[in-house]
Amino acid sequence: MADWPYENRSGKRAEYTCDVLVLGGGLAGCHAAVAAAEAGRRVILVEKGAVIRSGSAGTGFDHWEMACTNPGCRITPEEMTEALVSEQDHYGNRIAHYIEAREGYDRLMDLEKIGGKVRDTGDEFAGAAFRDEKTKLLYAYDYTNRYTLRVWGSTFKPALLRRLKALDVTVLDRTEATALLYADREGRRQCTGAIGMEVRTGEIRVISAKATVLCMSRPARIWLFNADTPGLCEFRPFQSIGSGHAMAWRIGAEFTMMEKSVRGEFSAAGRSFPPYGTGNNHNTWYAATMVDSRGVEIPYVDRDGRELKSVDERYRPAPGQKFFLKGGVIDEPKYEWRGPETLPFDELIRRGYRLPFYADLSRMPDAERRVIWGLMVGEEGKTKIPILKNYTDRGFDPQKHVLQSYGTGWQSAAFLDQERQLFGAPGGLMHDWDLKTNIDGLYAAGDQLYASDCAGFACATGHYAGRKAADAALQLEEVCPDPAQVENEVNRLLAPLDVRRGMDWREVNMACAKAMQNYCGGIRCDDLLHQGLDLIQSLRTEALHEVSAHNPHELMRIHEVSDILDVCELIYRACLARACSCAPLFFERSDSREEMRTQEDGFLTLSNWDGEIRTRMIPHDYAGDLVTSYTERNRDYMRSREGQV
Amino acid sequence: MKATYEAVFVGSSVMPVHFDTEKCIGCHRCANACQTDILLPIDGKGKPPTVMYPGECWYCGACVMECPTGAISLSHPLMNRARFINADSLGK
Ligand SMILES: Cc1cc2nc3c(=O)[nH]c(=O)nc-3n(C[C@H](O)[C@H](O)[C@H](O)COP(=O)(O)OP(=O)(O)OC[C@H]3O[C@@H](n4cnc5c(N)ncnc54)[C@H](O)[C@@H]3O)c2cc1C
Repeated sequence: MADWPYENRSGKRAEYTCDVLVLGGGLAGCHAAVAAAEAGRRVILVEKGAVIRSGSAGTGFDHWEMACTNPGCRITPEEMTEALVSEQDHYGNRIAHYIEAREGYDRLMDLEKIGGKVRDTGDEFAGAAFRDEKTKLLYAYDYTNRYTLRVWGSTFKPALLRRLKALDVTVLDRTEATALLYADREGRRQCTGAIGMEVRTGEIRVISAKATVLCMSRPARIWLFNADTPGLCEFRPFQSIGSGHAMAWRIGAEFTMMEKSVRGEFSAAGRSFPPYGTGNNHNTWYAATMVDSRGVEIPYVDRDGRELKSVDERYRPAPGQKFFLKGGVIDEPKYEWRGPETLPFDELIRRGYRLPFYADLSRMPDAERRVIWGLMVGEEGKTKIPILKNYTDRGFDPQKHVLQSYGTGWQSAAFLDQERQLFGAPGGLMHDWDLKTNIDGLYAAGDQLYASDCAGFACATGHYAGRKAADAALQLEEVCPDPAQVENEVNRLLAPLDVRRGMDWREVNMACAKAMQNYCGGIRCDDLLHQGLDLIQSLRTEALHEVSAHNPHELMRIHEVSDILDVCELIYRACLARACSCAPLFFERSDSREEMRTQEDGFLTLSNWDGEIRTRMIPHDYAGDLVTSYTERNRDYMRSREGQV
Repeated sequence: MKATYEAVFVGSSVMPVHFDTEKCIGCHRCANACQTDILLPIDGKGKPPTVMYPGECWYCGACVMECPTGAISLSHPLMNRARFINADSLGK
């Protein structure tokens, strides 16, 4: 035991006001804050970690998806959006994908202006098939249609932080947002700011804002938890557990697709390895050469099963195919967009290939090897140090060594059906064409939106939501924080400091994860779901009060568990609300009420209105015609970009 | 002020980051870049921070990237060190 190295400010309060408040300082939050500040608003950005490297892409990302307006791209934003949404059986986010496809490349150009590296300026890959010699842009996946770019993502967060400072944005690092403030007027609810806690001193921060943008990513540690190495148990940052969902749920914001979860894909606390750290041929490693334990190369085939002879063909559409889809959430696309792949595992075993498999970059053309090991592995999140440096220090040489793949799939993972994750475009906040929620003054972006996926999506929607919140701030009035709301929240936040020798937060998180595995696993039914919901509620009313904290860091972890319990409730409610199994949502019921199927084909939304659960069905195509709807709402933006790209 | 804070080490079976005390200048840039706030400046400026919550490390490498003197090394838990072998040893 030692003295706490920071000041004790528990119970002390600091008050702030601004026009636009952004919660979460990852890619989406930084872009929202920049856009609102560029529009002339007073902006506060609240980040639980430190903006310099916070969020999923804090240490980098290697490929920027769906940049359809880049000069080399042969796919229109409309074509791309419809393909992505149709690929997800219409449980995709048409509005956000369209913003991504239409404005993503603008964001990349902005990032370049502020010091981000987006081109091969050093000519390291001169002459490579994936490089455009004139623009020096590097492409990934489909080299013919060129909609995804390889980028130096590790340069982006520090550049964004410099930009925020230059724009005089107030950045509150080490501040966890914990609750949204609201006011009810004339039958409508308005978000009026937020409350948070400085996680080193325990100071309470009360922030009034005319408009608020939620950018706190998505829930985690719901089904997967490991008390020994909790930091490793999920794919996305340990810090992000869905606080943004929890606080929005508590004030009545509307969610959709929260009944969707998938069998786990990444959890380096046991079931899998550090992301991008094993031999594979997906995502960052696409299209690495794979070999079996005898050193025999594993064939790539196109969608028609035609064996590909050259490495270059792995990056080209099949004869008669316009383009193929690859990227973060594209796993097993439909025939129309299916790209080159290695033969399926069962077929390989039938043909006598032997485990284990390995990625063998030594057999690839020099530029393809260097771009995978050096640029992609290096710029991809969590790879510069944990993989590239670490493996190099251990002696790995991509010209000499092969890297093992574990088990039968590219993830090198082995999960049970009840070990689930919110992954592959999961649920989130429902929104309109302004990325506004059902609550006035409340906007959302990035991974907090439903069916979100990637970095370009986060940057583009972040900037867009920031613009719309900036406009709204001109119309909305500032409202003084409701003293009762503040008082309740302060008491809730600090209560564990009064508990002596209580439980550890990890014990409750583990109990919660087990409850989710047991009652909300692969197969659900009403009885199980009701029991699970009761158990989650009793963890809140009984266990949570017995948890103690020695300092604000531990308080933050307890607040996280409390939010996780809220998210679990949201998930249970969403599962209970959908009566019928739904394959695109990986939602399976043993008591599926088939007669409901046609009525349930759409976005089922859910909100918690002061204890009353409200649901709605919204048709999949609620966004309407893309070009018309977008143009109507973005004339100023379109004018401002004229002549820029 | 509500209570007295105490810094209590929360153990884990792993130790993700190590400091080279010869190279570390105790600037604590690592502690201020760490997303999970697991590095605490218990011994004050000029001394390496203490890894107070090793189990909470996300293994992102931000601390190493921010270190001006190359004093920090990050290593995966043993179970997560993937195997690589010489390509020409395959099938032999
Ligand atoms: C390892 C990894 C690699 C990836 N690689 C790629 C890639 O190559 N290409 C690609 O397109 N996509 C990639 N992705 C996905 C992409 O990075 C994310 O989709 C995107 O960064 C999401 O941005 P965001 O701003 O919505 O969320 P994040 O960047 O995760 O930011 C959320 C922020 O909110 C903060 N926060 C959370 N709770 C609170 C709270 N209560 N109060 C205040 N702040 C809070 C967090 O600290 C965090 O900084 C990768 C993701 C990971 C994890």
